[in-house]
Amino acid sequence: MRDNKLKYILVLPAIIVVFATAVWPLIESLRLSFTVGRLTKPNFPQGYLGWENYTWAFMEEPAFWNSVEVTVLYTLITVILTTLIALGLAMLLAPGGRLRGGVQTLLILPFAMSPALIGVSFRFMFNPEFGLFDAFFGVVIPPLAEISWLSDPTLAFVVCVMADVWGWIPFLTLVLIGGLASIPQDTIEAAQVDGASSWRVFKDITLPQLVPVLAVVLILKAIFSLKTFDQIYMLTNGGPGTATQTLSHYIYFSGMKYGQIGYSASVAWVMVIPMILLTFLYARYVFQKR
Amino acid sequence: MAQVLLKNITKRWGDFVGVDNQSLAVADKEFLVLLGPSGCGKTTTMRMIAGLEEPTSGEIWIGDHVVNDDLPKDRDVAMVFQNYGLYPHMTIYDNIAYPLKVRGTPKADIKPRVEKAAEQVELTEFLHRKPKALSGGQRQRVALARAIVRTPKVFLMDEPLSNLDAKLRVTMRAELKHLSRQLQITTVYVTHDQIEAMTLADRVAVMEKGVIRQLGTPDEIYNDPSNLFVAGFIGSPAMNLINGSVKDGYFITTGGTRLVKVDGGDRAKVILGVRAEDVDIHESGQGDIDVLVYAYENTGESVMLTLQFGKQRIIAKGDRHLRKDMDDVVGLRVNPDHLYLFDSETEERIRY
Ligand SMILES: Nc1ncnc2c1ncn2[C@@H]1O[C@H](COP(=O)(O)OP(=O)(O)OP(=O)(O)O)[C@@H](O)[C@H]1O
Ligand SMILES: [Mg+2]
Repeated sequence: MRDNKLKYILVLPAIIVVFATAVWPLIESLRLSFTVGRLTKPNFPQGYLGWENYTWAFMEEPAFWNSVEVTVLYTLITVILTTLIALGLAMLLAPGGRLRGGVQTLLILPFAMSPALIGVSFRFMFNPEFGLFDAFFGVVIPPLAEISWLSDPTLAFVVCVMADVWGWIPFLTLVLIGGLASIPQDTIEAAQVDGASSWRVFKDITLPQLVPVLAVVLILKAIFSLKTFDQIYMLTNGGPGTATQTLSHYIYFSGMKYGQIGYSASVAWVMVIPMILLTFLYARYVFQKR
Repeated sequence: MAQVLLKNITKRWGDFVGVDNQSLAVADKEFLVLLGPSGCGKTTTMRMIAGLEEPTSGEIWIGDHVVNDDLPKDRDVAMVFQNYGLYPHMTIYDNIAYPLKVRGTPKADIKPRVEKAAEQVELTEFLHRKPKALSGGQRQRVALARAIVRTPKVFLMDEPLSNLDAKLRVTMRAELKHLSRQLQITTVYVTHDQIEAMTLADRVAVMEKGVIRQLGTPDEIYNDPSNLFVAGFIGSPAMNLINGSVKDGYFITTGGTRLVKVDGGDRAKVILGVRAEDVDIHESGQGDIDVLVYAYENTGESVMLTLQFGKQRIIAKGDRHLRKDMDDVVGLRVNPDHLYLFDSETEERIRY
């Protein structure tokens, strides 16, 4: 009995902190999403609007849909690209793979950089006057040097994706190396003797056994891609125009720049739904009993 | 059709020598057993034949060409792994069917063959389960079924019966022997169980520390060991090995007891080998020497006596009706027709 009570007392501080910093703001933002909530006007949050903020976003606001489109595209491309490249690298670097040694330690380096820093450094690298890429292209493929990467809507998006993939590959590669290392070598050797080509060994033996780890990688990366903000903020600031404006960026701008707290809270809540779904899936894969 | 040939095979990891410059010819359709204590290089040898381990030097032949550069999948061998190597995400059925599927066997052929293999290892009722839901012995039988479902050039079996209970082991042993005769497929079989080696093998290769110490039929290995290691390793109980010398036609133990008549000239340092069944027990005074019973064990089919004279102990196998007790005095006579002499230095057999 005493132990039981003590258990609750011990976790109480943690619960209070989570409530104060996560649950309460969440509920408060939900409340605000139903108000006028303009920071620039007196008597904030100026009374309730019902569902009007939501219907406004869905019915009247192309900028909202633009950011949804950007976010979905961005998430799909970065998740798939990062996972594929990380899987390929992991296959090369895993025990028994073709590459090994010091390369692994080098790998972690980009992940040690903050997303904002990655954003800034990519912005510099693509700077038309003194950027690394322009210098590089200037020598190797001169026509490409003329391109002003960050002022073209499509290319700016491509650069954002590149920066994100570059920043995430190391970590996901390490996770996948761990996953590959936990696959019994026996099963792979048995398949080789049974007559399977390398491709079939990968498809029939390695991949199915990697599924739990792969699922975690995909979901985790999807969560992080969905909420991308700081990197985009530093790299393109959503531009040119709104070509790289993700939902997070749109929410931030509506709320902080234009002072529409109520409206941006409602858009934020639209984003909460897929997030909760992914988090739920993630928890299921991480904590499932095998 | 498919002989297996190892020519001067060496496997080294850094300074450690796993297999040391060994040559071995396994004839077509032969059942060859690699026998030896743990860590002697049996699995390593087998993995090199399968192509899972690359020999440091030497050539491996399967059939009539060198396979050193062939991938495992191209060597057309079927292997039972010492720790099974089952596919955990597939059902038992799919595990057994995998080698057929991957080699493009027509779908209609797969089912009957999988079912037949499963039946041969008594697994029919588990086909829909995953390996996780089987016992160690059952898993081992899945590994066996996965090998015999196909007709490869060579079977490689690494202790395929080690985890079965005594009764099943005997049935499986008979099943395997029958199968290998029936299929007529060259087989290399690893075990450290002598009975398995003796009953299954056409020939046995006894290994020690990466070296084949003797290669011969089970009969030769048992009755004509060519060195001290093979003599001591084969047989249960182990052969009695007694230090001493030969003088004036008799073997004298280091303790000074004149034990048995031995032909050939005088020799200073030798080891006498004599099997427990070649030590006869008589009533006190009726043997060559009188000895003390140190321990008496009745195994049911026979009795084992550990006998002591001076500091020397010797194990004798007696008739199952013989009843003795500790500290009884009995007469001992060593049968002079089945003796083995070994050089103490080289540990090689002295033939006289
Ligand atoms: N990858 C490796 N690296 C270094 N040493 C190894 C390696 N694989 C095996 N060995 C060593 O080679 C020796 C022979 O190993 P092997 O597995 O062939 O023994 P074994 O005869 O099959 O023994 P057991 O009956 O226990 O299975 C052992 O001493 C082992 O430690
Ligand atoms: Mg072994």
